[in-house]
Amino acid sequence: MPNSNIDIVSAIESKLKDKVQIHLGQLGTATVDTSAGLHRDVLKAMIEVDEKTTITAITGLDLGANLGVLYHIRTSNAFITIRTEVPKDNPRIPTITHLIPGAVFGELEVSDLFGVIFEGNLLSGHFVLSEYWPEGVYPLRKDVKANEVKLNSPPAEIKQPTDKNIVKIIVGPQHPALLEPEKFAVTVEGETVTKVEPRIGYVHRGIEKASESRTYVQDVYLVERICGICNACHAYGFVSAVEKILKTEVPPRAKYLRVVDLELNRLHSHLLTLGHAGLEIGYETLFQYFWRDREPIMDLIELISGNRVYASLMTVGGVRRDLKDSDIPQIKTTLENLRKKLPFYRQLYENEASIKARMQNVGVLKREDAIKLGVVGPVARGSGYDIDVRKDEPYEAYGEIPFKEIVYSSGDTLARMNVRMDEVEESINIIEYAVDHLPAGPFRVDVPRNVPAGEAVSRNEAPRGELFYYVKSNGTAYPERVKVRTPTFANIPSFLKTAIGGNIADVPPNFVSLDPCFSCTDR
Amino acid sequence: MPNTVTWARVKSPWVLHFNSGACNGCDIEIVALLTPKYDVERFGIKLEPSPRHADVLLVTGCVTQQCAERLKRVYDQMPQPKFVVAIGACACSGGVFAGDYNVVGGVDKILPVDAYIPGCPPRPEAIIDGVVKLLNAINPPKQKKQPKQEKQPQLPKEEAKPVAAQPEVSVASQEVKPVIEEAKSDAKQ
Repeated sequence: MPNSNIDIVSAIESKLKDKVQIHLGQLGTATVDTSAGLHRDVLKAMIEVDEKTTITAITGLDLGANLGVLYHIRTSNAFITIRTEVPKDNPRIPTITHLIPGAVFGELEVSDLFGVIFEGNLLSGHFVLSEYWPEGVYPLRKDVKANEVKLNSPPAEIKQPTDKNIVKIIVGPQHPALLEPEKFAVTVEGETVTKVEPRIGYVHRGIEKASESRTYVQDVYLVERICGICNACHAYGFVSAVEKILKTEVPPRAKYLRVVDLELNRLHSHLLTLGHAGLEIGYETLFQYFWRDREPIMDLIELISGNRVYASLMTVGGVRRDLKDSDIPQIKTTLENLRKKLPFYRQLYENEASIKARMQNVGVLKREDAIKLGVVGPVARGSGYDIDVRKDEPYEAYGEIPFKEIVYSSGDTLARMNVRMDEVEESINIIEYAVDHLPAGPFRVDVPRNVPAGEAVSRNEAPRGELFYYVKSNGTAYPERVKVRTPTFANIPSFLKTAIGGNIADVPPNFVSLDPCFSCTDR
Repeated sequence: MPNTVTWARVKSPWVLHFNSGACNGCDIEIVALLTPKYDVERFGIKLEPSPRHADVLLVTGCVTQQCAERLKRVYDQMPQPKFVVAIGACACSGGVFAGDYNVVGGVDKILPVDAYIPGCPPRPEAIIDGVVKLLNAINPPKQKKQPKQEKQPQLPKEEAKPVAAQPEVSVASQEVKPVIEEAKSDAKQ
């Protein structure tokens, strides 16, 4: 539970009196305006007071002559945005990776897309863009036209590694174990992993830039297509941020229907991962069992929304379709059937020797590392780090629905899968409660197409963890900037840590326990 | 002998799945095809991890700049004759992502495509239908001589779910076109 005794805002105020400007209630709990460089002192002050201080996202902004860099910081009971600016002709800012190592990917992304140089960040080179991307072109700056960028031609010869003694196992971009194109170069000594180098960006489609040239209504469907698995959460993240700018309150019935949609999303995603983990340890029967039981959930999504995968239920101001009373019995029967199967799966995960052998004590992530690396979702909760946006900052109807926050403390692959297993049952309970207590009334309110100038952040608990949206509007029908920080993006740094020192054969189960989704990571 | 090979290929096409920048929507529907509800392995359709053993390349997703070259390389590793199926709106034309700075466009900008299966994402039934139409195009059923022996793989009636708006599946030219130079230069851009 959030510790309400810590007053992080007054702690910052007393430490750095006149060097910062604090605006309460903006972009989370408060916004702290400061100059580039001083943001590290603000962060230090926050870490001293609250050990759970960690980074959620770093947002880059094109403000004309300057580039804005926003650090979105999550603490045990607050959400603080530190706002700094750097001039466009000399965009240099000191890194924060020595304070919070989990910021490394966030900094690399802003550096790749906006050209901000983070002094002290040890990694360099293109992070999400192609290796043939032209120098000095930063796609998210406003002066770059999306369809006018010409890439360099690839070199005639592909470079081979020069040191023959190092054995590098390249996994991807096309690999049987990966459904998505992504590359991991795993360096091994004997069978022990000594280094993991990720190369992401194979699925980078430039959705953040594309959303600036589409209207708010079109953007709901665009951001939904960031990920085919947790699509409802993406649509919800975007519409809730826009609703915050519009100051729209959605009707109570819509709040409950949104919870039903979000939890069905979580159900099918968790069943998918629990099965996928079976596939990675060579236990294909388990995979087939879970996917068999996932199909009725897909039918439910189709029942309430009309589509198997993309529900498209969320819209600004409520939901697109109402739930018919005649559909409720089918929802309840399906969920009841799934609940009856859970004890079988749970005893498999508890007693089955092959699962234990491949998952217990594999990829152990300690609680303090989990906080420092800023991991989210089941990965954090498997390490005893109790964060769940549904509990910490209840949105929609989650404040009114009783449910348990699942936390395991051992931090290994098995703990992360057990978190998901227990959450399947909690999701069933939440949906049943929601359809039983569905308020009457309208399910949508009308909203204007043009959104007044403003900015808002929104967080929600996707199946993989905290999903973060930042939306800035400029008074037109098109957003000025949409920033998405997906849970997988936050979780991958932990894999780079836990894989090292482990056996090469433990890499797949360890990796799958993060529930990786690269279309989310790259966007 | 060639007839035997065609017969074997049509009865048991081995497919390779390549995600060239998809959102996972089409990919999980392809995996759903292999799992108990749809179970395409009973028709001999097998997901093959290596391009060197595959007959059909299933491509999902708009082609991103980083994937374009890799997609071409995977295609080049497949033995002849080979067929390409573009699954989903993005693979067919670029979909909602057409025109983005990191997106080349549909799969046909890089490779010759034999069948297009539209939908966002296409239902598993639509994917089965598309593959069946492709197989029919490879080896057209001999209707005049043996009208009764038309044994194309079809879903048993109790399994097939009626779908109101099944998207049309279009099959491109049957002959395998060589990769033209234009496509190569497109891939490099």
